[in-house]
Amino acid sequence: MPTFPSVEWFNAIREITNADPAFRQLGTVDAVIGIKVGQKIFELTFEAFECTNVREAGENDLRDMDFWLEQSYDQWKEMLENIKRNGAADLSHTLNTIDLSMPEGFARSHDGYRRDAFYRFNQSIQDFFNASAKIDTTFAPPEAVAA
Amino acid sequence: MANETATIPDALRAKAQEKAWPLDLVQQALGAGATPEQLIGYMDQGVTADQARQFLAAQAGGAAGAVSDELKARAESAGWPLDLVQQALAMGAAEADLIRYMDMGVTADQARQFMMSGQGGGAPEVDLSWMQVPTEWNTRAKPTKHGLTLEAINIGKYGEVPDTWEYQTEMPRGAVPIPGVEGMGYSIYEKQEVWSDLCAPMYEEAIQRRWRPATDVPWTTIEPLPDDLERAICQICTHLSEKAQVEADVIGRWEPEISYGYHEVKLYLATVVFEDARAVEVFRKRALSNGGGLGLQAPGWSFRSVVDARNFSEFAVIQFVLQDSLTLAQYQYGEKYAKNPAEQFIFARAMQDKARHIAYGISHLKYALLHREDRREEFQRYFDKGEGLLVMDDAKDAATREAFAIYFGGSKDKIAEGMQIYKQMRARALDQYLARLKWATLDRSDRLHPKLRAYLED
Repeated sequence: MPTFPSVEWFNAIREITNADPAFRQLGTVDAVIGIKVGQKIFELTFEAFECTNVREAGENDLRDMDFWLEQSYDQWKEMLENIKRNGAADLSHTLNTIDLSMPEGFARSHDGYRRDAFYRFNQSIQDFFNASAKIDTTFAPPEAVAA
Repeated sequence: MANETATIPDALRAKAQEKAWPLDLVQQALGAGATPEQLIGYMDQGVTADQARQFLAAQAGGAAGAVSDELKARAESAGWPLDLVQQALAMGAAEADLIRYMDMGVTADQARQFMMSGQGGGAPEVDLSWMQVPTEWNTRAKPTKHGLTLEAINIGKYGEVPDTWEYQTEMPRGAVPIPGVEGMGYSIYEKQEVWSDLCAPMYEEAIQRRWRPATDVPWTTIEPLPDDLERAICQICTHLSEKAQVEADVIGRWEPEISYGYHEVKLYLATVVFEDARAVEVFRKRALSNGGGLGLQAPGWSFRSVVDARNFSEFAVIQFVLQDSLTLAQYQYGEKYAKNPAEQFIFARAMQDKARHIAYGISHLKYALLHREDRREEFQRYFDKGEGLLVMDDAKDAATREAFAIYFGGSKDKIAEGMQIYKQMRARALDQYLARLKWATLDRSDRLHPKLRAYLED
């Protein structure tokens, strides 16, 4: 049972997504996306029809990413639990809805133009996270992402 | 008609050999009354052995090959010699056609020239000179992870996109021009006026990420809505549908202005037209699918800034950067406040399409400024004008504003709450608009229209 957040957890999602014809049907995705949970940062690379790489990254790497998704540990947990419960994010928990609910935005970037990749590939990224409904997730204790 | 064996002069024999006319056919023709000079003339004009045989057979049978009295009379009056008429018939022309040509005033010389060009009804002679054309050969584009993309084939000379395109015709980039071809009437020959490096990859992205409103949208999830909400979403759909149609129409006008050297831009813009058509379609369908109907037409002041743009860059930055930034925000908020999975789906997909349009506009602006620093103030003035007309729309278009407010608030009674969300939507759109412009090296933070700035300061 993979633990969120970890490279192992993202790789489990990556494998499901890459094997899913519905993900391919959404079309090509070309973006480097950060996931920030507390102090932990992960980098997801999407190329053509798949997620090609997952790695743990650092604060300095954010500058090279198209954008990163950032919310508190509790908000991440709520989002993933909602996806698990419904099989996909409900209207209150889509990436777009969360983005609009946060004054500073859920998708952030050092670059006003590259951030738009969040909108261009929104449904593919949503599909990626929705795939987490297919696995049982263990959540790391909050203190594990604090440092 | 004589049938006895005729002597073949050496010159005719040599010509017959060269043109693959069997000697028995030559003898037959001579026997039928043709002179050696006439036969050499026919051969030089491209009459084949088969055609000649058919002609002789027809003459022998007194059928189509024979010249009718009417045709003879017309030919005489038009000044066409009888042997020319016979030759044309031998090459397959119909009597009625020849009479028509004569009536049209085609002279004997013109007819002879036309027949010599190999287009007189017979098959043209083989000409393989095109196989020696000096284009870049041995090109082997390889498919990438994305397939065989436009970028993948942009190799060698085919990938060289000149700053100025010199050809006025429809000649594809990398082909060899031929003289005398008429111009296409393009007016844009400068790369900086239209270019973005994103055109080729985003053309592919648009093709790959297409969707089908008729069958992809879960239409059956739409339940009856209270009257005020149904009226609100129908007014919103009227607005979004109308806006998309204007964008498609105006791009359609610019497409034929862009010269063929920048085909990546032409192709990408074609996908934008298609996506606008899809937006027109899907919002119209939503309006007409749940007991409602269309609403009020928009005042259209902001449409004027794109319809009346006098150069392509002006159109592109106002449409794709300013106006589409606002439309993208409308789609984002539309998804958040969707009343059913169908509306959520529609807004979410439309959002992806719209974000591509913005990416083109903003990257084009950056390219133009990078290559023509002197246009900086010019662009600022376009935005001044575009924002001004947008503000006029804001003042006049109560229907769209109030419809969004009711949709966001959840009912007519909560329109005040909804109006706060509407203002947030505007503020977010303008904030992102300024951030995008900053990326393109254009700072409008001090120049934004005061009435738009008010949204940011609220």
